[in-house]
Formats: sequence, structure tokens, C-alpha cells
Amino acid sequence: MSTDDLSVIGRRQPRLDGFDKVSGRSVFTDDIVLPGQLHGRILRSPHARARIVSIDTSRALALPGVKAVVTSADAPDLMFSDRQPLLARGFVHYAGEEVAAVAATDPLIAEEALDLIDVVYEPLPSVTSLRKAMQPGAPVLHDWAPGNVALTHDKDFGDPDAAFAASDLVVTDEFRSPVQHNTLAELHVVLADFSNPDKLHLYTPTQGAPMYQMQLAKAFGLETSQVRIVYGNVGGAFTGRGRAKPHHLIAALLSRVAGKPVKIKATGDEEFIMFRGSGETEYRFRTGVTRDGRIRVLEADVSFDAGAHAEWAMILWLPAPYLNWLYKVDAVRYRGRFVYTNTVPKGSHHGGIFGRLSAGWMQHLTHVAEELGMDPAEFHRRNAIDPGHHALDGSDFASCGLKECIDKVVERSGWKQKYGRLPPYRGIGLGIGAQASGGKNASNDTSAALVKVADDGVVTLYTGIPDMGQGSHTVMGMIAAEVLGVEPADIRIVAGDSDITPFDWGAFSQRGTFTTGNAVKAAAEDARAQLAAIVAPLLGAAPEDLVFAARRIHVKGQPPDAAGKSLSFREAVGKAFHGAEGRPIMGRGFFNSPRPSGSLAYSFGAQVAEVEVDPESGAVQVLKVTAAHDIGRALNPLAVEGQLDGQVFSGMSQVLYEECRMDGGQILNPSRLEYKLPRTYELPEVEYILVETIDPYGPFGAKEVGEGPIVVTMAAVANAVANAMGELIPRMPMTPWRLLRVIRHREKQNRG
Amino acid sequence: MLLPDHDFLKPRTLAEGLDALRDAPAGTRPLGGGTDLVFNMRCRLVAPPAVVSLKDLPELQGVAESADGTLRIGAGSRLTDLVADPRITARYPALAAAFRAVASRHVRNLATLGGNLCLDTRCWFTNQTKEWRDAKGPCLKTGVDACHAIQGSSVCVALNNADSPPALIALGATVTLASAAGERTLPLADFYRDDGIRHTVLGPGEILVSVTVPPVTDRLVFRKETARQGMDFAYGTIAVRADGRGERATRLVIVLGSLTTAPRRLVAAEEKLAALGLGEAGLAAAEATVRDALGALTNLYSPAAYKRDLARTLLSKAVTELRELPA
Ligand SMILES: Cc1cc2nc3c(=O)[nH]c(=O)nc-3n(C[C@H](O)[C@H](O)[C@H](O)COP(=O)(O)OP(=O)(O)OC[C@H]3O[C@@H](n4cnc5c(N)ncnc54)[C@H](O)[C@@H]3O)c2cc1C
Ligand code: SF4
Repeated sequence: MSTDDLSVIGRRQPRLDGFDKVSGRSVFTDDIVLPGQLHGRILRSPHARARIVSIDTSRALALPGVKAVVTSADAPDLMFSDRQPLLARGFVHYAGEEVAAVAATDPLIAEEALDLIDVVYEPLPSVTSLRKAMQPGAPVLHDWAPGNVALTHDKDFGDPDAAFAASDLVVTDEFRSPVQHNTLAELHVVLADFSNPDKLHLYTPTQGAPMYQMQLAKAFGLETSQVRIVYGNVGGAFTGRGRAKPHHLIAALLSRVAGKPVKIKATGDEEFIMFRGSGETEYRFRTGVTRDGRIRVLEADVSFDAGAHAEWAMILWLPAPYLNWLYKVDAVRYRGRFVYTNTVPKGSHHGGIFGRLSAGWMQHLTHVAEELGMDPAEFHRRNAIDPGHHALDGSDFASCGLKECIDKVVERSGWKQKYGRLPPYRGIGLGIGAQASGGKNASNDTSAALVKVADDGVVTLYTGIPDMGQGSHTVMGMIAAEVLGVEPADIRIVAGDSDITPFDWGAFSQRGTFTTGNAVKAAAEDARAQLAAIVAPLLGAAPEDLVFAARRIHVKGQPPDAAGKSLSFREAVGKAFHGAEGRPIMGRGFFNSPRPSGSLAYSFGAQVAEVEVDPESGAVQVLKVTAAHDIGRALNPLAVEGQLDGQVFSGMSQVLYEECRMDGGQILNPSRLEYKLPRTYELPEVEYILVETIDPYGPFGAKEVGEGPIVVTMAAVANAVANAMGELIPRMPMTPWRLLRVIRHREKQNRG
Repeated sequence: MLLPDHDFLKPRTLAEGLDALRDAPAGTRPLGGGTDLVFNMRCRLVAPPAVVSLKDLPELQGVAESADGTLRIGAGSRLTDLVADPRITARYPALAAAFRAVASRHVRNLATLGGNLCLDTRCWFTNQTKEWRDAKGPCLKTGVDACHAIQGSSVCVALNNADSPPALIALGATVTLASAAGERTLPLADFYRDDGIRHTVLGPGEILVSVTVPPVTDRLVFRKETARQGMDFAYGTIAVRADGRGERATRLVIVLGSLTTAPRRLVAAEEKLAALGLGEAGLAAAEATVRDALGALTNLYSPAAYKRDLARTLLSKAVTELRELPA
């Protein structure tokens, strides 16, 4: 299908839910109030590690208005995960761990009741940082993990040792990234109604219902269908809502005990205490190259701070395949370990684990290029993969615009005139990256969709993909509209209720547009085929000769309004429903990648960032980002630009600003005032370049723009600062004091 | 994080307000815009049985200019209004800049000058929820003999993070305080104490009524260093006032803010600049005095070493800006 045939796809379509969102009409979880609803609060451990000597809840229970108080004694078998009781049992392993919870008729009463729960602790020696946990002789968190190593993942592709031996030059660099939190616009919140023991209703923002359903069903001994997840609007996720968290289960437990719906809403600081995006990470890269700049072998060794439980082991595995996706190499080696610390279990931040690794990896590869005396842009380009590449990890790249992305940003940013020629403390950096569009983490990677057409021509699309702000629902509406030849305004979206909407793993691994998009397309095509079968005889044509466009159906080759050879969409639907057959048009479809593992499609990108470091204060200003991305076809360029803006913002924020400042397991800056996110004033000018490779598997050729760009921004910004400073910056974030220390240290050395 | 129970008193006149403060139970607090106090109450850092709202008292309102150019600014004035007041913007653009540096427009719409000058000192071991503080353990500010910011310190070293004091001190402003027992006026410089707990000289039941800025024709510069432009407390601020023009000055006042418990005047640096001029030589000599003038610094919100470097940077940038000001 050529671009000319598309009428809706490719349009700059404003969000279908935009007006509701900005006018405050959109309903979020906290807006939902059920009759008799109680307010829940969680009592958290003040200690990084302690033995619980006793818990006495009697004073709390006696407080008028308190309807339930729960501790592990009330739910001795209730596990959050295999080795993790929902409420602390005997021991606590991190500050903030859930110890008890109350439900009361009023939030103030619930807060007061927390004060009345008497817990006696006996503090134990703890390890609250990655470094400490890995030291020999460090206190051991769990007896099943000597040395505090929860899991390891070692993977070789090709023969790395031979490739290193054959290399002319081997370069090694080490980096560190801090604890970071994915600050979500909508704080963590859940409303659970388990007053009927046969059905648990859970209203909560999520990235996908099935994971939550499975977790809650398992914990409470229910069938999946007995758990209903309702997730109307979701205020951001950034990987922070991939799995249910303890508060989801605690709300359900409180509701079961109290026999009433219970809402638990995180306070601003609790948000930072109950979950943190990513833990401390220490990572080392080693690369072997030939003298003329060909990469032979890439190696990464990564230690992740898992927190007190290895809840998010997936982030340990993800880097191994990723290392294979950008360059044509002989071998790849990955060594990863997940390390227990006495801190809250961690996952990953916006950009997945590879965002943060990229900030180091790309600095390292720039270092390699400079050691070779090569322009880094030339170095990346020389090693970059081409379409059709088959990688060592088995990945195949049907479409790939990586080289074109590099060429475009080099040209548009004036790289050749600037690189190596900027005045002191001005820097320019290039980063490249790739990202999978969906991928199999379970037996399937399925999304399903239903399309219902009413006899007035209004199309209702049922989808399980959540719109977390990324604009998925609008794009799904556009896909359905394109197939049916109607306008996006004719599409109503029904989403986010596992009792109603069809199966969809949800919005993560950049699978929304690609996988759910394909499912929606299939459902809409099914509906179109039903209509075509009815309309074709009326127009005297074969069904495959009908064109659906501009709210009309006409015979190919005829003008859209040709008498006797065309019908309005509405008339056609009317004929179907009000005809002898009485057929309501209902299309269904689903999509699951035919690959046994990995992804069908990958996005690619390159960005150039330009920065200025103030040598007197260490403050960095990002001046401009030039971003070229091969995301397949841009279904909605307006949304793509929004995604790019957001990811440039979050990427520079993670490299330059964000850090949970920790003090013995406690977070010192649990607020948006002190957790320094930049504001829009700090956003640089962003120039967007879309490199539209049309992917053969994507819906209308689309791939993903979910997390591809952020990985690249982090690399480009980190490189630009290193370039301005004239040396690698191994510690993230690159705060004023870290940079100023480097500058002052250098001044001292220069003075002798 | 919910507001604890308290009485809310809204007197109609200053006299009524002062009586209310005298008669109210111990711990009662005056309330300006509440952008600081209310949050500290939510965190249970303070638990006043009652608050007395001052911001609409007629005696605390507005800016008045006398014939000699003296400005009297009511403590209840909203920062939003002060930022736009032509009597301030025209004569003291650097003072207007200091007011504008506070938080964001939304906060300034509520915030009062009195609240900014009386802003509680801040420390990341105490400006936390009660649960957080309970986990860390108490300190001098919360009732025991311990400090988490500087181990062994016998005084609270929390920071004065308010943006307006340095510029007002540099201008030689005085403050008028009042209680049911009477009124007194003193230099703003003497209003602050080097104690994070009793960080001002305000006595029980005493409030700040107004700030008086004498007519000043000297040059004045204000700078603020933050992580982001707006909605952010300072890593450090500076106000520098000097007579003369270009590199020449005989009288200077230099005040650093946000780095210490009370705004810190840099007397030795002032003397060096007056003696050697505002050129590079004078500046280098002045910068060399900063370290001693600051003494021990905390790691609160930013590392001590950075605070020291930043103080020198602020001085050098401010003096450079000052000497380039058009006469
Ligand atoms: C998000 C955010 C960002 C902020 N950023 C900044 C910033 O960048 N710079 C900055 O300086 N401040 C900042 N603040 C702090 C605060 O908003 C301002 O300092 C503001 O000016 C305080 O004024 P207020 O009238 O709201 O004070 P209130 O909260 O009403 O009072 C503050 C204190 O002063 C006392 N008080 C108030 N008025 C009087 C009076 N007339 N006499 C005696 N005591 C009085 C109160 O009892 C209380 O202890 C920020 C606050 C927030 C929430
Ligand atoms: S500086 Fe010390 S005494 Fe003061 S609030 Fe902080 S920890 Fe407490």
C-alpha cells in the first residue's frame, strides 16, 4: 500500500482524548468512589533490616472508624512473590517494607491508626548499597544467596576470547549510575473491591492487565477471570507499572477483611519509598577493534542493585541481546549479576535498562574511536548493521535505517564543522541506538481487538492497551479508521477493563503500536470484510474491488460518489443491520509474533546533542538535540514528535539531573522539589528527522517510538558533556558538583 | 501527609492579631501565604494548636514611598505584587529579581514577604514526613541532643534557604517587629541567628510587620544558582552592593544566602574589593577570603565542597556583573 492510498495514517492527528484530558473530564483511578469505600494506609518499616520482635495492633483496632488492621498474622500464606511474604513476617529487609495496614472510614483516622500500631524491632546489620553488598564479608540478606548475588546471567555469542586476541586495540571503561525513580504524573493508587469473595475488582493504573490478574489470582487462590482490572486512564508508567506492587494486594486484603472497597493512595513521598525505577548500577565495557576501526568484539559486565527481592530479573537478561543489535561484530560477551541490598526492590526507569547503560556504552565507544583517531560518527557508521542483517543472538532486521539516521544527524547538526572544533566547555556528542518492537517474554506476545459498528456508522474499538499518555488510543483509532475508510472522530474507544476488553499483554517492550496495532488492523479488516460481502452485490462488484475511504464505499476505478457504484459507510452499515440478515458488524482480530522468541522489528536512531558546561558552576545546559529515528512509518507524526520531546526530556534528565540521594537505605529527597527533574525551561530545541523505513511486519509499516529515542538521547547527552569536559564522565547523573569537582581538580593540576 | 487538626484565627486588625497571638496556646504560629508552614504541618514537623492568619491585615499590606525615597513594604505583601511594583522594579531591579527567584508564579501568588523572611530553616533530615523522621531518629530540632547533618554539632545547622534576605540585607533594610507588648525596629542583618531552630530574633507572640528599605543609589546585583530555572530552592544566592562605578568602589556589602544557617556577610571580601578594586586582582584576593568566612559547611542538599566552590563562583560572577553595570 503506497502512501497515496492512505488517508488517515500519516496525518498529524490530535489526541482523541485530548479535550477530555485538558478539561479535567477524564476519569482517573482516584476519581472513582465506590459506595462505602474505606481509606487504606500502610505501615512501613523504619529499618533497613531488623527482626520483628512483636506487633500489637489492639490500640489501632480500638480507634473508632478503623474497620480493618492487617499484619502477616492475618494472612500467613499470602505471598507477594515466591520468597516474599506480602506483609513482613519475622523480619524486615528494607526501609519502607510493608509491615501492617489499616482501613478506616476517613483518611485522617487511617493515618492516626498507623501511629497506634506498636511494632518492636531489633535492628540488624544491613547492606544498603551495591558496593557494600558485593564486598567480601558483607552481611548476607538471604541464606539462599551467598555473597548477596541473587542471580547471574552470563552469555557468550561467537568466540569472544578469540576475537579479543585478534583485536589490535582493546579499550576498557567503567561507569556508575544511581538509584532513580520514574516520577509518574499519577501517583500510585488502587481501589480494591473484594467484598464479594468470588470476584476481586481492582481499579488501578497499569501498563497491562494480564500480569496484574495473574499475580493477584495466584496470591489469593483465584482463577484469572475472577480478578477484574479496571484501568481507564493511566497517568504515566515509564516501566513503573509493569507488575502489581504490594499495595495492590494489600488493598485487596483489607477489602476482604473489611467487606468494603478500600482505596490506597500513595502520598508524594511514599511514591519514592514504595518503588524505585532503577537501582544502582555498575557497568564495565571492553571492546576489541582492528586498527582500521572494525569492531571485533563487544563485552559488557553489569552489576545491578536488585533491592531486597529479585522482583525484576528481566532487566538482568535484556542487555545480552541488545549488545548485538547495532554493529556487525564477530563476538559478544555479557556478564550480569543481580545483587541483593537492603533497599526496596527495583525495576527499571524510563528507557528500560539499556537507557542507562547507553550513557556509558556510547561514551566508551567514542573513547574507542578517539583512541583509533577516528571520527566517532564514522566509527559508528562503519560498523553499523544494514537491513537484512542476521545478528549473533538470532535477531533479524527486516528493515533498518540506522546508517541513514547517522548520516542525517551528522549533516543536519553540522557535526563535521563542530566535532573537535568547539571552544572549551562547549561539547557535541553523538549517540545511536535500537529498540525492539515487542518481544516474547511468555508463550505468546498476543494482543487482541474487537471492532463493533453501530447502525449510525459509529465504530467502537475495544482494546486492552492502556493509554498512559503516549497516545496509543488515538493511533489505534486511526488504524481502525484507515481500514474502514472513516474518520478518527467516528471511532469510540472502549479500553481498560479486563472483564470487557480483549486480551492484551499491555504497553511495554514497545509493543503497543506494533502488536496491538496489528491486532486492531486485523479486527477492522474483519469488520470491513463483513461489510464488503454485503455491499459488493449491491454495487455490482467483487468484494475485493471495493474501496473504503472518506466515509464511503465505492467500486475501484469509480469516483467515490459514483451513482449506483458507491454508498456512504453509514448506509452500508444500515443495509447490513436492517437487511434480511440483520447482521451487526463485529470484527475481531489478534496478533502474535510468529517468531519463537525475540522481536519481529526494531527501531533505530541517532541523535546529536550540543551542550555548554559552565566551568564556574558545573551546570550543564543542553542547547540542541538533532534526532533522526527510523521508527517504520510514522502513523501519527504529531504523536511521534511528542514522544521524541518526552524522551529527549527524560533522557537528559536521567543523565544530568535525577538521583535518589540515599542515606543508609533511606531516601533523602523523596519529593519532586528535591528529586531534581528539569522543567520545560530546561528542554533544548529538538529537531526531528523521521527516517521512514516501511517495515514489512508492522501495521502500515510502523515499528515503535516508545523507548527507542530515550536510549539514544542518554548516549548523545552523555557524550556531549564528556566532549565539553574533555574526558569521560563515569558517574551519572552529571550534576554540577560532579563536573565542578573535575574542573577544579584539573585547575589544581595545571597550576602544578 | 494530611493537615492535622488546628484552629484557624483570622483577625481583622493588627492589634487584634497581636492579642490573639498573646492569648493563644503555646506553639501558635503566624501564617502568611502558608506555602512553607502548611507543608511543615502536614509533615508534622510543627503542630501548632492554632494558626493566626496575617496576610490580609491592613497594617501589613502594600508598599509606601516617603518623600526621601524610603520604601516601607508590608510583611503581608504577596511576592507576585512586589515583583511587579514599579517602585521596586525601577529602583532596585536586583531586589525584584530576588523576589522573582522565589519558587514559581503559583507559589508567589500565595507567598508573602514576611513568610519569606521568616521561612523556617531547611534540612533534609527533618523536612520529611513524620514516618521518615522516626526512622532516622530525632535531632536537635525534634527534641534530642544530636545532629545528623554535622555529627556532634551542638546547634542546628539547617539552612536558611530564603531568596529575599541577601538583597534586602545588602540594601540596609530594617525590619519592624511587633507583639502585644510593643514594637521594635532593627536591621534585617541582626534579625537572623546562627541557630537553625531559633533562626530569628522573633520572641513569642512577635511578628514581622514591615520591612523598610532606605534610599540607595549604589549598584546592586543578585544571583541565584539552582538545578532548574524556577520552582527550586537555591544551592546558593548572593547579593553584592557597591558604590562607585566600573572597577572602583569604596563601600561594599556582600551577602551570601542558602549556604549557611543565617545569611552570611563576607566582610573580608568587601575590604579586599574596596582596597584593590573590582578588577581581577581585587576579585582574586576577595575570593581567597571566602573559605575562611564560610567555615564548616554542611552536605545538606549539595556537598560542602561544592558549596565552597559555588560561593567563590557566585562572588566572581556577581562582581563581574556589577562592574559591568551601566552607571
Ligand atoms: C515548591 C516550593 C518551592 C519553593 N521555592 C522557594 C524558593 O525558590 N525560594 C524561597 O525563598 N522559598 C521557596 N519556597 C518557600 C516559600 O514558598 C517561600 O519562602 C514563601 O515566601 C514563604 O512565604 P509564605 O507567606 O507562604 O510563608 P508561610 O508558610 O505562611 O510562613 C513561613 C514561616 O514564616 C512565619 N511567618 C509568616 N509570616 C510571618 C510574619 N509576618 N511574622 C512572623 N512570622 C511569620 C510562619 O509562622 C512560618 O514559620 C518554596 C516553597 C515551595 C512549596
Ligand atoms: S541540621 Fe541537624 S539538628 Fe538541624 S534539623 Fe538538620 S539534623 Fe536536625
